[in-house]
Amino acid sequence: MATVRIPTPLRVLTGGEDQVQASGDTVKDVIEALEKNHPGMRERLLDDKGVRRFVNIYVGDEDIRFLDGLATPLKSTDEISIVPAIAGG
Amino acid sequence: MSTSSPERGALQNKSALLVGVGGLGCPAALALVEAGVGRLVLCDDDRVEESNLHRQILFSEADVGHDKLVAAERALYRAGARPGSIELVHSRLLPENARALVRGVDVVLEGADNFATKFLCADACFLEQRSVVHGAAVRLCATVLCVAAIGAPCYRCLFEDLPTGASPNCAEAGVLGPVVGFAGALMADRALSVLLGDNSVYGALVSYDAKADRARELQLLARAHCALCSSERSIDRITYDRYTAPSCAA
Repeated sequence: MATVRIPTPLRVLTGGEDQVQASGDTVKDVIEALEKNHPGMRERLLDDKGVRRFVNIYVGDEDIRFLDGLATPLKSTDEISIVPAIAGG
Repeated sequence: MSTSSPERGALQNKSALLVGVGGLGCPAALALVEAGVGRLVLCDDDRVEESNLHRQILFSEADVGHDKLVAAERALYRAGARPGSIELVHSRLLPENARALVRGVDVVLEGADNFATKFLCADACFLEQRSVVHGAAVRLCATVLCVAAIGAPCYRCLFEDLPTGASPNCAEAGVLGPVVGFAGALMADRALSVLLGDNSVYGALVSYDAKADRARELQLLARAHCALCSSERSIDRITYDRYTAPSCAA
């Protein structure tokens, strides 16, 4: 299972958890697994064109835009980070 | 970034614009003054509120209800800013003043509380060829991104355009004081690096998670079709309609 680090704005969907485990062979699979356990996650991350333009998803330190996008393959030891645009201070 | 005597001398001839003098701008301004930056331009139009005090470290209870910039100026002079080195712009960064404001300084620190200002600042800085340090913080997390005058990568390489619809960032407002303190200090650190000619900070995105007490730095890559800084760019001027998405004062 991959580890998914959940940013503050999305923790409302994970009961406050800052990281969760999710299984899947690709990033898309993991997002679908997240949606199953944490409904609403898919909509917050994806639109009909793919990853929302104000969200970035990393596998390790690599932005999936520069890998294979949502089809980026995963290993069970991979860590996925979600970096949304935030404004505030 | 620590500053030696020669560096302090160099910084006396440098200038910085702070867009927003809130939780991020206050510690950043203080750090820049202490480092010896010669001229600071503060841009904000708010008044100090009691709810600001836990994180906006230039203000005290006596400042509540008063003009934020005047209170900040007073605090920075108390902290040792050189007389006449602080300039106040009693306005938000707006399409009509953005390019002139960023053009007038060596580096920009953007700590705005809304996306419209963030994208406006990013666009103005690229169009005027100014380096900019973007900062943001919500609850327990913060991000800091340092962008070169030539972009590549820039803020629009990271986030293409203003959020619309179901934004993941507006849900739970609130910020922990030490989180913005960390981010504001890091913004100043990156700005000092820029002013002293250290190019290694460009394109570095730092994400700080206070709950895990972990900061991670990612080196961004330029977006091939970036509307701002790629060879296919479409943004070549500032227009109002580009910055009309709802604000999110998280």
